[in-house]
Amino acid sequence: MLQISHLSFAYEQGPYLLHDLSMDIQDGDYVAIVGENGSGKSTLVKLILGLLSPSSGTIRSTFRRPAYVPQPTDMVNKQFPITVREVLDYTRQVLGIKDRNAVDRALDRMHITSLQDHLIGALSGGQYQKVMIAKALLGKPDLMIFDEPSTGMDLKSQDDLYPLIHHLNEERGITVITVEHNLRYAAHNASSFFHVVRGQGHFCTPHEYIQEYLAENGGDCSHV
Amino acid sequence: MFDYAFMRNAFLISLLISLICPLIGTFLVLRRYSMIGDALSHASLAGVATGLLFHANPIISAFCLTSFFGLLIEVLRERFRRYAELTLVIVLSLSVGIAITIISAGLVHANVDSFLFGSILTVSQGEVTTVAILTVVSLLTIFGLFPQLVLLSFDEDGARILGVKARAINYIFSILVAATISVSLRIVGILVISSLIALPVATALQLRQGFKKTLALAVFFSFIDVMAGLFASYYVGAAPGGITAIVSVLLLLLVIFFQSCCQKREVPHAQN
Repeated sequence: MLQISHLSFAYEQGPYLLHDLSMDIQDGDYVAIVGENGSGKSTLVKLILGLLSPSSGTIRSTFRRPAYVPQPTDMVNKQFPITVREVLDYTRQVLGIKDRNAVDRALDRMHITSLQDHLIGALSGGQYQKVMIAKALLGKPDLMIFDEPSTGMDLKSQDDLYPLIHHLNEERGITVITVEHNLRYAAHNASSFFHVVRGQGHFCTPHEYIQEYLAENGGDCSHV
Repeated sequence: MFDYAFMRNAFLISLLISLICPLIGTFLVLRRYSMIGDALSHASLAGVATGLLFHANPIISAFCLTSFFGLLIEVLRERFRRYAELTLVIVLSLSVGIAITIISAGLVHANVDSFLFGSILTVSQGEVTTVAILTVVSLLTIFGLFPQLVLLSFDEDGARILGVKARAINYIFSILVAATISVSLRIVGILVISSLIALPVATALQLRQGFKKTLALAVFFSFIDVMAGLFASYYVGAAPGGITAIVSVLLLLLVIFFQSCCQKREVPHAQN
């Protein structure tokens, strides 16, 4: 369970990016965090992952093995000299997994065995994301956070990805949070939407979110 | 030439340097911290000057003071997050200020030039032992923390989510950099240590291999650079640091040229 109460956050002397935000996520939920660019979605995710500390408020989590899958276009460093297999194997070692075959199984599970000797910078966005999911699954996560999983991916890759996320949530019981722009897939898979707007947030249905979006943007629904 | 004890000492230290410098250098370069290596190598002059002032082993005093400056950089980087390069200016000002004051006041009665440019003649048996101990401890630490260091370099946020203690490892890494510089300054010289830390890695990166292969290639190129400096120094009489720096740049240019030729050959083949 994740319980966020009256959370506020600002960088040093800067303005508050999140202000008095509260949310509860239960085990097994699939929550899509939605909102416009700059609304504070990514900051909220970094706070949940412990990469940032709240200025005030509390975050209580019973999840012990959180995992994060970055945006496919947010490749860390394309020039970094590391192969797919090395990324997974060093992750295995950091997690203290003794079984070396765990890497082979992770590669096989994501159908990327043929990519194991490729340099990470030579991968497409979709392939890179599969590697990041394989890396995340190595730690047997109880919470998975995806940052805009469909960004920069073609329709075929999206059609492969969302059923996988759905499977992880439904069949393996992993709690899923996605920072989402793709409302079609989010509405189809997520159990609820969390709308972040101007640093505050609330749960809503996809229909309610679209109504709120139209009200905010004077009926312009070009982004929806 | 190995009939001479000084040459055997110099060869042994050179061998250790060619192993430890690229190992640390790979992480420094990939984390875009090359300038920290450069700043700390210059800061080590304060340690050498302090050691000579108090008649202590200059390698140990350089290690202690360079470790202190390395840790200071890490602490200041937390304070000046948006202007991280300022921390290097602060540490350089303090360390070089200490060194210049001690040396210019005539308090040191020893040949400081041999530490600035490197020397194969003045390496003592005691220094060989110090260098060997520092190198072995550093190597054991690097291999003990190897997966954590790789993932921190690849994706620091990702590593922290996996539970890697980034701050603690960054502090340990600063001490490892200080140890590497202290080990190298006798042969390579303070002024060109950073070239030996960064250039073999830059050369290896041109060949676009995985992490372990890149590391092995960097050690190979570093070995060539250091040995060229050592042998040229013996036969020509010049300081080894200068030759090592020149050879490391030439080797990098040669590999870039070789890579460009290979790529030009591959283009028509790829179009078919």
